[in-house]
Amino acid sequence: MTTATPIDASAPTVIRTRLGLDPLTLFAAVIPASIGLVFTRDLVVPLVFLGIGLALALIVSRVSARVLALLVLALPVAIVALALLFALWVDPATVADTRVAVGIAGRDLTVGALTVGAATALRLAAITALLFAAGSAADGPDLVRALVQHLRVPYRVGYAALAALRFVPRFARELDVIRRAHRVRDAAPPGPFTALARGFGYAVPLLAGAIRHAERVALAMDARAFGAHATRTEPRVARWHRLDTAVVAGGWVLTVAVFVVVAAS
Amino acid sequence: MLTSVGRGLVSPAPVIHANGVAVRHIDADTPVPAGASLSVHPGEVVLLLGPSGSGKSTFALTLNGLIPHHLDAEVTGDVVIGDAAASASTVAELSSRVALVFQDPDAQIVTARVRDEVAFGPENLRVPLAEIATRVETALRRLDLWERRDDDPDILSGGGRQRLAIAAALAMGTPAIVLDEPTANLDPAGAAEVFAALRDLASAGDHAIVVIEHDLDELVEVAHRVVVLDATGRTVADGSVDDVLRARAAELDALGVWLPAVTLAALRLQRAGVPIERMPLTAAELRAAVAAAPPIDATADAPSSSAARTPADASTTAPAANAVEVSGLTLRHGRDEVLHDVSLTIAAGEFVAIVGPNGAGKTTLAQAIAGVRRTPRGTVHVRGADVARRRTTRRIGFVFQNPEHQFVAPTVREELAHSLRGRSAAEVAERVDAMLERFDLTAHATRHPFLLSGGQKRRLSVATALIEGADVLVLDEPTYGQDRARADELLRLLGDLHAQGTTVVVVTHDMQVVAEHAERVLVIERGRVIADASPAVLFADEPLVRRARLRVPPLRVAFADLPGQPALSGVMRLADLDAVRGTAVAG
Repeated sequence: MTTATPIDASAPTVIRTRLGLDPLTLFAAVIPASIGLVFTRDLVVPLVFLGIGLALALIVSRVSARVLALLVLALPVAIVALALLFALWVDPATVADTRVAVGIAGRDLTVGALTVGAATALRLAAITALLFAAGSAADGPDLVRALVQHLRVPYRVGYAALAALRFVPRFARELDVIRRAHRVRDAAPPGPFTALARGFGYAVPLLAGAIRHAERVALAMDARAFGAHATRTEPRVARWHRLDTAVVAGGWVLTVAVFVVVAAS
Repeated sequence: MLTSVGRGLVSPAPVIHANGVAVRHIDADTPVPAGASLSVHPGEVVLLLGPSGSGKSTFALTLNGLIPHHLDAEVTGDVVIGDAAASASTVAELSSRVALVFQDPDAQIVTARVRDEVAFGPENLRVPLAEIATRVETALRRLDLWERRDDDPDILSGGGRQRLAIAAALAMGTPAIVLDEPTANLDPAGAAEVFAALRDLASAGDHAIVVIEHDLDELVEVAHRVVVLDATGRTVADGSVDDVLRARAAELDALGVWLPAVTLAALRLQRAGVPIERMPLTAAELRAAVAAAPPIDATADAPSSSAARTPADASTTAPAANAVEVSGLTLRHGRDEVLHDVSLTIAAGEFVAIVGPNGAGKTTLAQAIAGVRRTPRGTVHVRGADVARRRTTRRIGFVFQNPEHQFVAPTVREELAHSLRGRSAAEVAERVDAMLERFDLTAHATRHPFLLSGGQKRRLSVATALIEGADVLVLDEPTYGQDRARADELLRLLGDLHAQGTTVVVVTHDMQVVAEHAERVLVIERGRVIADASPAVLFADEPLVRRARLRVPPLRVAFADLPGQPALSGVMRLADLDAVRGTAVAG
């Protein structure tokens, strides 16, 4: 299906993402912004970073038209829903602006509560967008290699996590079968807790299967000397270039600039 | 076959030498295996056999030190690998001496690309990159996967993934490879691929190989030695194929070791007075042995093979309406059409097998019939009732491949009672007790279904499918991935249910199951029913068998059109042989 590449013999390949960067570079560039966002309270900063994050994601990842449409349609809906949820959650006594904006679910929502809700929702969306953009640049195994090689994460942890990622489609298939099987048996009696009961009912067989599968995979990995030595031969090595430093510095400068400019205006 | 192997006067040192190995798991009272011994020399192929529960897999794990290095268990006896005791060696040393291939290909693959998968082991062993590249290419070429080197293992067939696991084992560069039931999870076509790979590997003679496998037909020709464990896991036989499998076949059968169907057939013929000098292990050998024997009679009162195949049992119950009627059923999954305009009827009391290649739509059809998958109105009727109109139909039960998937209650008793909600407590208790008794689960009524043994889980899943009074039972690959004893237990149960009038529909890859039990076979290919025939007619149609990636059961291969033995022609079930007599004792 893909074009077969010859196996390059002796020299390890240097890991580069599609933008020619190290897999960790974009993460390092957006992390100050993500942390900073946690402490913001206004609407503008998260909006700006949401824009930056989305733009970055579009440049970096090869998003299919379908995913793009989903993002354009679903993202605003999700943000509005989250905003309302947080607005309902916030303690009305703590907000400044107490004018009533709208009545929802038998409660009056004040403008202040709505603002807090919207800001919180935007913060979450912006952080997610930034990290998604950083993550979508690298493929999983290379990201793990970079973590192991730059940050000295033990390789057993990194590769075990990678192997665990491969369980996901398997569990999705298994969950589908379990749902079918339980539906046949009318597993959950109708009532207010149906969904919860049903979910719990799926969890037991899913977990039992998952644990058994994980044990088998762990055994098979051990049989192939996984973790037998402190290090392993790496066919792909992560190297930090000057370009990576420049991109990280640029990201940090941009972050500071956004915070300073918004605070000043 | 036995030439050039190091068992001459001066044998080289064994690659693996295990003596009196006993393994006791921390929560077990008795060790299993209790005293297994085996040694393998360079270039030797050893078949390891034993009844289910004899600890073959556990023994295999001791052969490269995974027990006790990775799994906690008390090990006594000696395992010497190369020149060092396994218990005193490091895992790194052991895994560069003995490679393991497991039963489930999906549980062995850890990377997202074929060549990364093969490189994974050597990378862990810190082999230099240039050598890894050579090993990867050599291993992939040997297993015929080099062209697929950049593919995701997920898109390989089951047989392809298992060959990949073997390639990954080869790349470890070990002198020995241990394979634990490598074909148990594969369809017939996938198993054939793996057997071909194993035969290549065995005949190359560059590895010491230990294989645990129940399908012996393909391996007896390459095996140099057979080691047999008894039920407690003690080695009771160790010798050549001739000395063990042929000379002691009856003893092994009594021990519960799974023997090839042709060998079981020969044992029955022998008991019936047919002289068989050399115990056959393959269809061709049985054919030759029987052709050389004096004429064999079928006893007059016993049903002939063709008569046994008609639904005699159904006629004793009321000849009711059709159990299942499917007309013009088309089903889509996403954009793909999984079933195309399928029409068929299944009469009450029939035993029907649904067979065909992977992905042909067998499971979808079975689920549609049982109401597990939603169907358009008017396309599927069970006992005259439209499956689509009634929310669920109580007349048909479905048994999923993995029984755990359908358990919903915390005890066996509640599991059975769950299906009877809405009935009086007295009626529920009575019917649950009856079901517990019938399926031999009374002693386990208060246990959690997940804590039952595999066989008990399977019986419980059948019981829950039947407790509402269903008289049509649909099962999805009920013998897949199970050992022989468990599969046989289930098949006996299905045979009993069928004899009592239950209509049974089974999706299966197991051709001996089809031959032994089915009265009728539906062959599905690409969403269409391409054949609907008795097993005798189906297996006689060679082009069809090839097209549907099936395999002719070995007894049929042995007996079909056998000149001079008309009583045997067409026999493909072991049960049919109860009716024959050797002329030597028939008078």
